Amino acid sequence: MSLKYAVIDRWSQGQSVFHRLDARMKMTALLVYLLSIATLKPVRAPEMIAFGVLILIGMTLSALPIGGFLLRGAVVLPFTGTFAAISAFGGQTDFAVGLVAKSYLSALGVLLLAATTPMPALLHAAQWLKVPRVLLLVIQFLYRYLFILVEQAGRMRQAALCRGSALSKRSRGERMSSAAGMLSVLFARSYERAEGIQRAMLSRGFHGQIPLLTNPAARLKDWAFALCAVAATLAIRLGGRL
Amino acid sequence: MHIPDGFLATPVWAAAGAVSVPGVAYCARRAHAVLEEGRIPLMGVMGAFVFAAQMINFPVGVGTSGHLVGGALLAMTLGPASACLVMTAILTVQALLFQDGGVLALGANVLNMALAGVFAGYLPFQLWGGGSRRKLAIWLGGFFSVFVSASLAMTELLLSGIPIPTGVALLSLVLFAISGAMEGAITVAALDALGRLNPSWVRTSQTAGKGGYGALWVGAVLLACVGILIASPLPDGLEKLAESLGIAGRASNLFKSPLSDYEASFVSAAWLRKALAGLAGLLATYLVCLAAGRMIAKRGSKA
Repeated sequence: MSLKYAVIDRWSQGQSVFHRLDARMKMTALLVYLLSIATLKPVRAPEMIAFGVLILIGMTLSALPIGGFLLRGAVVLPFTGTFAAISAFGGQTDFAVGLVAKSYLSALGVLLLAATTPMPALLHAAQWLKVPRVLLLVIQFLYRYLFILVEQAGRMRQAALCRGSALSKRSRGERMSSAAGMLSVLFARSYERAEGIQRAMLSRGFHGQIPLLTNPAARLKDWAFALCAVAATLAIRLGGRL
Repeated sequence: MHIPDGFLATPVWAAAGAVSVPGVAYCARRAHAVLEEGRIPLMGVMGAFVFAAQMINFPVGVGTSGHLVGGALLAMTLGPASACLVMTAILTVQALLFQDGGVLALGANVLNMALAGVFAGYLPFQLWGGGSRRKLAIWLGGFFSVFVSASLAMTELLLSGIPIPTGVALLSLVLFAISGAMEGAITVAALDALGRLNPSWVRTSQTAGKGGYGALWVGAVLLACVGILIASPLPDGLEKLAESLGIAGRASNLFKSPLSDYEASFVSAAWLRKALAGLAGLLATYLVCLAAGRMIAKRGSKA
């Protein structure tokens, strides 16, 4: 479970050409890419293939495991597949195929950014795009303690299993209240941890702002990437429609 | 129900974004006013708690187990404004890192789950949480938080022209109600256990016993959701509706007239008209957000 959360974090620590590009440029390119796909209607095969090729180029540059990458992006498919099946049953096969293509390509695009950019850089880019600072701080703390608390919950569940929670033939009411007890203990530990963190941070002079250690400046290379990516995306988006 | 990218029509996600961005900004202000800046770590850690809480299985339903969704529980412990902010943070992390919900669709998902879900979940608790029907109020809160957000998501999909037969839509309403009931049961059990551990963690609602008004409110919320859902099986969603109302025609005239002297044929190309309409929508969204942000900031500095 916790591994599921950790894999993107591990990927984002890579050192490839794509990893080292400026996060703000990558995020801008992603937004243009997502907008281009979202406004595409009706969906045509050549455009979808061209967008897929763009993602493949990015993936090759980022040296990520191809199978794992494509599989992670496929987490949208159960949801999309349901609706695609419904519309395919209704006789709208083209629409169904378009739905799957659009959502899968969008998910791969987001994954490409998330898997090649560490969280602090991602948040810095979001701040550059004027996302409210309070929200970004909350996200930062959430991400920092996500792995810790998920592992803690996993340990608690393991401990409960060791004590025979799965074996005992208890009534549903009893199992319900034991799950609620576990949840409240997890809540209590999280709350106390948060208070401890808060005191520690206040005593270190925290006043609502976390400074970045490095102040990344966009280099010529980053601008060139943004220009190429945006131009290619727009060319695909507008090319077939002129 | 996290909507991925590629599902929502441009007017739908742009409009949802135009509602949720100022909404979240307002909640951020409120949370800021209530809690001092140092409480930010608490909100972040509680967001992580919701992720972790999903590992705990509750035996609800026949042979199935469910887990906490969390909107109502957060609202009843941290307060609605903070809960909205925490849910927004959760949804953002899910969209970016776990491809659970789209990035462009984030505005819609935030509207459904962080704004409507949290406030619909808090409403019964606010109204009756202090009285003798406290447990029922908490259960209703859990129920609404899931039911309202799922119905809203369904409505947005229908408005975007996703072909969902009426039968399927009604069936999914039943499923939403079942998962809402499960969330209600989990929320009741969890708040009960929390109250025994430390009563100060659960908020106390000040207004007890405004029965009549309350029922009216809850009825309105319910009707709004179900009503929209039943009204919206339009043949092709918003665009068909716009066409039948003549908005599309008027819009294209609007775009054509200032440019009619040169390259009128260019503008009449369908894709460009669509792109222009999209851009205009985006610009309008941005302006609304900017204005709302200014207004909220001004009011915040006065308070």
